[in-house]
Amino acid sequence: MIGERPFAATVAMLLLLLLVGVFLLAPLAVVAAASLSAGGFLVFPPQGLSLRWYADVWGDPRYVQAAWTSLGLALITVAIAVPLGTAAALSLRRPGALPLRGLWEFLFLSPLVLPAVVLAIGLLILASNLAGGPSKAALVAGHVVIALPYVVRTVTAVLAGVDPATDDAARVMGASAWQRLSMVTLPQAKAGIAAGAVLAFIVSFDDAVLVLFLRAPTLETIPLRIYAGLEFSPDPGVAAVSTCLILLAAVAVGVTDRLLGGKQVVG
Amino acid sequence: MSRSDRTEAALLAAPGVLVLGAVFVLPIAAVLAYGFFRDGVPSLAALDWTSWSRLFADDYYLGLATRTLRLGLVVTLAALLIGYPLAIAIDAAPRRWRTWLVLALLLPLMTSVVVRSFGWLVILGRNGPIVQWLRELDLVDRRFQLAYTETGIAIAMVQVLLPYMVLTLLGVIGQIDRRLLEAARVMGAGWWTALARVTLPLSWPGVVGGSVLVFAVTVGSFITPVLIGGLKLPVLASGIYASAISENDWPMAAVQSVALFAVVLIVLLPYALVTRPARGGVAR
Repeated sequence: MIGERPFAATVAMLLLLLLVGVFLLAPLAVVAAASLSAGGFLVFPPQGLSLRWYADVWGDPRYVQAAWTSLGLALITVAIAVPLGTAAALSLRRPGALPLRGLWEFLFLSPLVLPAVVLAIGLLILASNLAGGPSKAALVAGHVVIALPYVVRTVTAVLAGVDPATDDAARVMGASAWQRLSMVTLPQAKAGIAAGAVLAFIVSFDDAVLVLFLRAPTLETIPLRIYAGLEFSPDPGVAAVSTCLILLAAVAVGVTDRLLGGKQVVG
Repeated sequence: MSRSDRTEAALLAAPGVLVLGAVFVLPIAAVLAYGFFRDGVPSLAALDWTSWSRLFADDYYLGLATRTLRLGLVVTLAALLIGYPLAIAIDAAPRRWRTWLVLALLLPLMTSVVVRSFGWLVILGRNGPIVQWLRELDLVDRRFQLAYTETGIAIAMVQVLLPYMVLTLLGVIGQIDRRLLEAARVMGAGWWTALARVTLPLSWPGVVGGSVLVFAVTVGSFITPVLIGGLKLPVLASGIYASAISENDWPMAAVQSVALFAVVLIVLLPYALVTRPARGGVAR
């Protein structure tokens, strides 16, 4: 750019980046630090350093059971939301091909901004009236709804960087609709589909709102256990589990960034 | 556009539309039905306003609504005031930094809300570092804490929502034609003048989009206000939970949901109608 940036502006920017960085990461760092405590109480800074709370949690069947439940839910959500979201993204790809395109796009993406509590109440009402009470199926349905927009976005973002003429070329060469889909479009969208799967997994695994409304009495997930721990007095074990979730989020952020190469899909 | 293209697009959209119709649109319709009709049966004879009159007559519910709106406004304003300069700074940062900065924004966003709230409870609590520091400076007494206050809720919510604001702004600011800024500088504008007279007006769609997004997400959020605010500072979302789960009063839960839904739509719809969701704004 022509002209220098004033020194004061540069200093202000650096300061701002530093402060906001601390602000954004401090709550996560505090949880991670508290999980390393050797003492029996949750305090910050931690008393002494040990990994005993990780061993404690690892050996606690309630946590292990909750982890399996969360994992199962997240995998089912991925298995449903990824094909649905990919197909939805492909349907929106060609302007003019889909009548009322704007309406469908709004439908696919609106779960991002409409309050999850409203969806939760609605699913609870439906499940109680139609199925006699909240069930795992209702919870899966809710997770699919909130995960779907992420898949639509990641696939759309990746396909936006692809020349649609390749699809036409395949058609001219005599490829059937199925061949174009399986041999041209889906391979082109591969990175977006994978990133969508990671985000759908995280959205389901991290959810605490829908599960609070729709929990069957026996269903307990990891976020629900943390939530219950926080309502009373959390021990460093809760911090240890929470730290695992932070690490999971870090892996997800890193992997999606690799897959999408900086394309923006969240926010 | 050939006919087969249309068939193909319709076939691809159909599963998503059907599933969302069944488990997204239908549940919302059920909430609306319970909000206006006895037992959720939509007929004129079953029209029922008793829960609505409770909502508007009872100070408890008015308190929920005002607190929710106040939090929405405060958090949106704070996210904008911090987020705008931050977006400018990230946009100006060298490429390698930029990646790391965006990752730092995404990490809190991808971390479970219970974990983030947990961190804030420790930081804002009576024995947390901030309060201890304020106490050492003799600025506050021993009972002071930020957890279980509205300020505490707002602080914790800004952390989650700042990324939404900044990423929306970055999307718009990043697309501003650099030559316009160069032209302004060549014509003698200083750096600050170029920022105020070129960048700011051109990034207006990002400011509106980010604010709408942050407001909508804030008024609908549940976990952070419940955990940081505790039982004494309920918001609409926690009122909905109390009515539905603790009191088993579906009509009251539905009425509060409709109110919340209406607040979100009033902010969102005008915006969604004037912008193309595909580029920028809500859909980014």
